[in-house]
Amino acid sequence: MSDDGEIQLALNDVSVSFGGFVAVAGLDLAVGKGELRCLIGPNGAGKTTALDLICGKTQATSGEIRFEGRSIDKLKEYEIARAGIGRKFQVPSVFRELTVRENLHIGQSRQTGVLANLVRFGGSMDDDELERLAELVGLSDALDSAAAHLSHGQTQWLEIALILAQDPALILMDEPTAGMTGQETGKTAELFNRLRGQHTLIVVEHDMGFVRDIAETISVMHQGKLLAEGSLKEISSDPQVREAYLGSGGIGHA
Amino acid sequence: MLLTGKSAQQTLLYLAFCIAILLVPLFLDDAFLLNKYSRYLVFAMLAVALSLSWGYAGILNLGQATTFGLGSYCMAMALKLGTVPVHTGSEGLPDFMVWNNVTELPWFWAPFHSTTFALVAGILVPATFAALLGWFMFRGRVTGVYAAIITLAAMVVVNLVIIDQQRFTGGFNGITDLAQFEVAGLSFDAYSSSTYYLVALCLSAVLFLSLAITRSKTGMILQAIRDQEDRVRFFGYDVALYKIFIFAVSAGIAGLAGMLYTIVMEFASPTFLGVPLSLSVVIWVAVGGRQSLLGAALGALIVTGVQGALSESETFLESWMLIMGGLFVLTVLFLPKGIAGAFEMLTARFQRQPAGQPATAAKPGGEAITHGEGA
Repeated sequence: MSDDGEIQLALNDVSVSFGGFVAVAGLDLAVGKGELRCLIGPNGAGKTTALDLICGKTQATSGEIRFEGRSIDKLKEYEIARAGIGRKFQVPSVFRELTVRENLHIGQSRQTGVLANLVRFGGSMDDDELERLAELVGLSDALDSAAAHLSHGQTQWLEIALILAQDPALILMDEPTAGMTGQETGKTAELFNRLRGQHTLIVVEHDMGFVRDIAETISVMHQGKLLAEGSLKEISSDPQVREAYLGSGGIGHA
Repeated sequence: MLLTGKSAQQTLLYLAFCIAILLVPLFLDDAFLLNKYSRYLVFAMLAVALSLSWGYAGILNLGQATTFGLGSYCMAMALKLGTVPVHTGSEGLPDFMVWNNVTELPWFWAPFHSTTFALVAGILVPATFAALLGWFMFRGRVTGVYAAIITLAAMVVVNLVIIDQQRFTGGFNGITDLAQFEVAGLSFDAYSSSTYYLVALCLSAVLFLSLAITRSKTGMILQAIRDQEDRVRFFGYDVALYKIFIFAVSAGIAGLAGMLYTIVMEFASPTFLGVPLSLSVVIWVAVGGRQSLLGAALGALIVTGVQGALSESETFLESWMLIMGGLFVLTVLFLPKGIAGAFEMLTARFQRQPAGQPATAAKPGGEAITHGEGA
């Protein structure tokens, strides 16, 4: 864990079970402000569930989640989002029937009221900001085409751009490079490195090449618990981690 | 820039429609036909209401007639009280109350002596009803088919209550024998151009109001909710609140349509809150194109128009229902986005060809470029 920043997000002994199956069992996790944290672990380790717990998609059975000094585990999803947490889903989810431009307008959600948005026409984001975001993710030429027409990789980027339009303090990314080509993955790593410092990022990822490109601190989860934490070098030499990945071909092939 | 051009085009199209319906009485001097067309325009307004909730927010309201009926009863109560001094023998009560041994005007009837109150109630009662129903459904995250079933069930309940409370509502017979609607010194005879103009102006206003809502950011967010409800929630929007809002607006418009319907038909009846009417609205909107307000309105006009023509002609007296059913099946099979969708497809094809390119090459080419940049 980096000690230079204050702790922004803290999970204290958080557990959740679904009908007897314990997905997360006493997870402790602390992430500092502006940090880029990678969350890895074998299949079924509870990584996605951990993100679900933070963003409110799943309610914790026990334990506490604190974000910027306040407890958020009892808040509704939209309240957590308003508090400054953004979530990118594993299966890219964008608004397929709307254009890329309209998608970006919706992502920009500083104003969330029904009536306030009723008197707002043509979206709420100024064109410069919108075009800057579109350029950042390589969608400048596709602004006026429907999101349904984008390729898989572009859809992933669009969702990332939507989160950036939302501009949350903490971004949760669930397998952002899933289904991307090698080249696309490379560009995404580049993008994440640029975001470093401006936002706190928690990235769940299976692609170790990608993790290598972006990671500073890596947290390893196994069977719903935090197994190890440290730099890539530290955790790849950790005997417990090697044990956990046994059978899946070692950490490098996970 | 393309967007402004497109929306300007759309505005012009809506304007043309409104002017067209307003011009009809100039060429038509038949009281019976004017009354019939006013009725169709009311149905068009009802279709616009459903298009807002179903087409834009994905809430399939099978009970749209509930709010329509509530509006029509509000107007009927006011118009009934307008006849009281003339028609009743005793106590200044509406005739059906006298027959049912009611001795005193019920408290909720009293304020309907005021036309202004009735006009406000005709919109607010349905809207409040929908907001309450919506609050339970959308806060509880009831979606899709389940929401549709709840709206249908709610309608059946309201319908039964109205039939059951004969003393206050006229029961099966509804509220009949009404006074003419009068406002600001104007009186609206159901079989005159004044009523037609009233309906046509209200429909025009509703169309443009709805268009403004769909073009606002709120309208955009509603469409996003239709596509991916969860995604919207995690941006910090209170999805339930947005749905309740559009559900209530849609109900208010249906209430206005109901009020106009009472003026046009000169009575209110429990059939106005019936399953057949409610399901017909869904068919009109599906035929016209649920994601287009104007399409939904045209769908209502075309379907009810054809239906009227067929059912009145002797040759189709037996078979018109079958023909309507066949038309509906064909539309759903071959025009999944309805008439509006077909129209959009055609204009898109026409606009692309003059650019000197074959119609098919323009778009994929553009996409290939973005692909290249992305990879």
